[in-house]
Amino acid sequence: MSVKAFELVPAVERDLLMGDKARINIECIECCGKHLYMGTNDCFIHHFLLDEVTSSKGKLSYSAQKLLHKYLGLKKPVAELRAASALERLIVLCDGMVFLVDMVTLETVPSAAGGGAKIRGVTAFCINENPVNGDPFCVEMGVLSSKRRMVQIYMVYEDRVQLVKEVSTPEQPCAVSVDGYFLCLALATQYMILNYNTGASQDLFPYNSEGRRPIVKRIGREEFLLAAPGGLGMFANAEGVSQRAPVNWSESVIGAAVCFPYVVALDESFITIHSMLDQQLKQTLSFRDGHILQDFEGKVILASTKAVYVLVPLPLERQIQDLLASHRVEEALVLTEGAQQNIPKDKFQILHKRILQQAGFIQFGQLQFLEAKEYFRKGQLDVRELISLYPLLLPASSSFTRCHPPLHEFADLNHLAQGDQETVLRCKKFLITYLGEVRSTEAANGCREDVDTALLKLYAEQDHDSLLDLLASDNACLLADSVPWLEKYQKYFALGLLYRSNGQDSAALELWIRVADGDLQDSTRSDLYEYIVDFLCSSLDLVWKYADWALRKDPAMGVHIFTKRPAMKELPELNPDDVISYLGKHSQALLLYLEHLVLERRIQKEKVHTHLAVLYLEEVLSLLSQSPADEEQISRAREKLQSLLRESNLYRAPFLLGKMENCEQLLLERATLHGKLEEHDKALHILVHKLRDFPSAEAFCIWASSCRDSAYQQQLFHLLLGVYLDGNPPGKAQAAAGGGGDLEMAAVDLLNRHGEVFDAVRVLRVLPEGWSLQLLRPFLGRAIRASIHGCRTSQIALGLAHSENLQLLHDRLKDRKKPIFVSEKKGCHLCHNTFSEPDVVCLPGGVPVHTHCVAQRVRDSPTKRQLTNSSNHT
Amino acid sequence: MPEVSKMKKPDVKVVLLGDMNVGKTSLLHRYTERRFKDTISTVGGAFFLKQWGPYNISIWDTAGREQFHGLGSMYCRGAAAVILTYDVTNWQSLAELEERFLSLTDTANHDCIYALVGNKADLTDPKAQLSPDSDVASEECEESGCPTPPASPASLSGMTLHKQVTPEDAAALYGRILRYKGLEEKSSLPAEKLCFETSAKTGYNVDTLFEALFDLVLPCILRKRNENQESPTVDLEECRGTSNKRTRSACC
Repeated sequence: MSVKAFELVPAVERDLLMGDKARINIECIECCGKHLYMGTNDCFIHHFLLDEVTSSKGKLSYSAQKLLHKYLGLKKPVAELRAASALERLIVLCDGMVFLVDMVTLETVPSAAGGGAKIRGVTAFCINENPVNGDPFCVEMGVLSSKRRMVQIYMVYEDRVQLVKEVSTPEQPCAVSVDGYFLCLALATQYMILNYNTGASQDLFPYNSEGRRPIVKRIGREEFLLAAPGGLGMFANAEGVSQRAPVNWSESVIGAAVCFPYVVALDESFITIHSMLDQQLKQTLSFRDGHILQDFEGKVILASTKAVYVLVPLPLERQIQDLLASHRVEEALVLTEGAQQNIPKDKFQILHKRILQQAGFIQFGQLQFLEAKEYFRKGQLDVRELISLYPLLLPASSSFTRCHPPLHEFADLNHLAQGDQETVLRCKKFLITYLGEVRSTEAANGCREDVDTALLKLYAEQDHDSLLDLLASDNACLLADSVPWLEKYQKYFALGLLYRSNGQDSAALELWIRVADGDLQDSTRSDLYEYIVDFLCSSLDLVWKYADWALRKDPAMGVHIFTKRPAMKELPELNPDDVISYLGKHSQALLLYLEHLVLERRIQKEKVHTHLAVLYLEEVLSLLSQSPADEEQISRAREKLQSLLRESNLYRAPFLLGKMENCEQLLLERATLHGKLEEHDKALHILVHKLRDFPSAEAFCIWASSCRDSAYQQQLFHLLLGVYLDGNPPGKAQAAAGGGGDLEMAAVDLLNRHGEVFDAVRVLRVLPEGWSLQLLRPFLGRAIRASIHGCRTSQIALGLAHSENLQLLHDRLKDRKKPIFVSEKKGCHLCHNTFSEPDVVCLPGGVPVHTHCVAQRVRDSPTKRQLTNSSNHT
Repeated sequence: MPEVSKMKKPDVKVVLLGDMNVGKTSLLHRYTERRFKDTISTVGGAFFLKQWGPYNISIWDTAGREQFHGLGSMYCRGAAAVILTYDVTNWQSLAELEERFLSLTDTANHDCIYALVGNKADLTDPKAQLSPDSDVASEECEESGCPTPPASPASLSGMTLHKQVTPEDAAALYGRILRYKGLEEKSSLPAEKLCFETSAKTGYNVDTLFEALFDLVLPCILRKRNENQESPTVDLEECRGTSNKRTRSACC
């Protein structure tokens, strides 16, 4: 509980008021500016001047100076005093009478009309502080009479009072308060709201007035505070609705007032102070013989029977700081936010932010990180305040100094953790997440370098995965501060990234190369070498500097620098010639690069193709010259050479042929080259006679003619057949017997397999006489079938063409001509005989005549006329 | 309760009524703070401002004690919904609703919605012992010992109490409430929609209750906002809000 929200300060001491007269009691008070009026039980009004004195220590006290006192002459206690300062009048209730006295002289004001400025039979009255009538020189007053069930509304002028309205009530009212048109009344058994203008009433709640004084206190515009059963302070507005939760007083409250955000209540021995914001009891002050509690223009004044006190609110900030000091964060914030209406907006925002930040640090100190984060966020904390708690995290160059007065009590993290490493670790983890979230938001504006550098240090220290993400993305880490830190934790790879993001690619590479070479230890990336190669792929200037290192380390991988360059606009392509000449001393890499150029990028340059072919050839030759020869390697190397020789049309074949002229092991390659040079006879000669590789010979024919027409292919196959049939080359008699048979068999196979390519007639002409029909049966069968097939196909084609022609003629006729009718009754125009057959000839103009007549006529006519139309009609 | 302090103008009011010890405060706690905790007998009343989407709904928790009975009609004044709460293990608590509390609702809006809620269902109904976030809830209960609802310790020993009020009883009362209000049963919301059995202790049905009720008062909120828009009174709070927004958008 206990917040110190108020201080009780004596205002008028007992001596000053009554000296030694023991039986004088204070009955009522009124305060108007510095003027304090007091009514006593012996019918006096006392007038004091109350001055506020602030001591050098900031302590407030009051000095009261008695100005005047005046006996009213009624011998009854002064029950009520109200100032109407605009009229310079005090409205006095004494002995059931309301009348006016002068504020300065305290003389009773004589009525203008002669003695009429009095209202008799009054039990209570109230002043309307929010009158609907706007006249500043009159005061509206609600009056309760002793015997009548009604409320009277009077207007009080300087020298008269005027009854303006009377409203009746269901029961005798005993207390009243008014705001606008709304009267809030305590009746004998209940409270009610009554609109004196319309007469509309609204019951509030029942109340037992026996033995207890009701409280009806206006606390603001159309809002009242009422003493409710069960010791409650209830709020009610003019509509009869409670908009605030009630506060829990004691049963015997005498007076109450609101001094935002507190409700102050007085009972016999205590002043209780509740917050309207959370309904909690905040402070209790002991106060004996309490008698009156009233607020005047925001000043709460209390009186016992003998003395007067002022309840001075402590400055809001102090209250809040007190709450924070006792770690009551929620309450402090409720109080701050509740005071929003009472503080200028800009000032409130500053205060509110600061309180939120302090609250955040309190939660942080208790390791309530979630809550702390929320407060920091809401309070827009300068992140560096938090970072500065952690030793060494802020860069040396940072201009940050902690805010003053400090937001928290911690010197640094070690102070906070009291040496508990577990706590330190948790705090660090929190900062990591917090900074991670904050760095991309507005909160990091203006201190991005500090934030990112701190984050980098934390990541490095905690061996956090996100270190690389941080450095690889856009960041503001300070190089000077980060380098030693990263070196300390051996984060060389990360350091390289940092160099890179600072535009020092060269430094990054130097560092990485040292790691890759094992000079420095950093296991961040096991594939650092590949990473460097990747990096070089997309760099321009550094390629030439570090390619040598990369190629020496692993030529196959290193060559990726040149072969795997991404196609980007900002990255100009390297000139292949430069690369080739650069790679001169790295033969393996050169080979790979040329392969890349030829096979992947399909560069159409004779030089490159020839170069690659030569390199392939050299490799094959060097493998062949080794002993023992590795057959597998050789065949793989030859495979590559052969495929290049076959696929490419650009290399200089004669040059290559010259290079392998003397090599009897590369016959296949030579054959291919001969094929490229269109020296098919030589090629086939090699294949058939030297290699005796008939399938290859066949394959050669197919390959060499692959992009040519069928005649060229036929010619090649005939050539091959010729080579087979020509028999043995001279000078090899020994092999003739067996070899000749082989060749013949190859020829037969060739014919039987590729019969369709050959011109059968030419084949039959060259075949030896002695071959059996059976041997060539498949070939011949296919040839005959093909021939017959061809014959029939052409017949069909002919027939189809014919019918198409007929069809077209028919269509044409239909389009051009009407039908021509021929009947037995019609006569031929030439011979004038009738028609007996449907076959007629039409002369131009659609005239039908006998066929024989026309023939006759054509024969007879000197000029041979063409018949344009001939058709059958039925 | 920092939410309260912001003093936003509530759009609509919901009031919890019912005899003492039926668990009104616990229901509200369960809904607003997602947990069940010890409560002391409510003095006078308390209220909570719930931010429900773009709307502010004030929920009033009233005191069930006879002593504060007179205040009830004040709380109910202008209410858009009243939650009449009883204890399923206590027949009298249902009877009290009809005898004492129903008349308090005379001051509520003419189209006020009445919900009948039988709390402490966990004591009689095994399915109410399982809650959406049950593990936390049960732990807490064992720690706290739950002094307020006197019947609660029974459930700790795994025993179920005799259920004194059935849903049919509640539905019948709902019908009588409609009659009391002079409402046609056919044109009003059916009893199935407005009779709930809940457990503030386990959280069973609590969210369902409040969310369903908020959905039902939505037309009331919209109508009220509409009226406010038409009224010539200038809401300074609102103006400040909008002008803020404007300046903000202007500088972007």
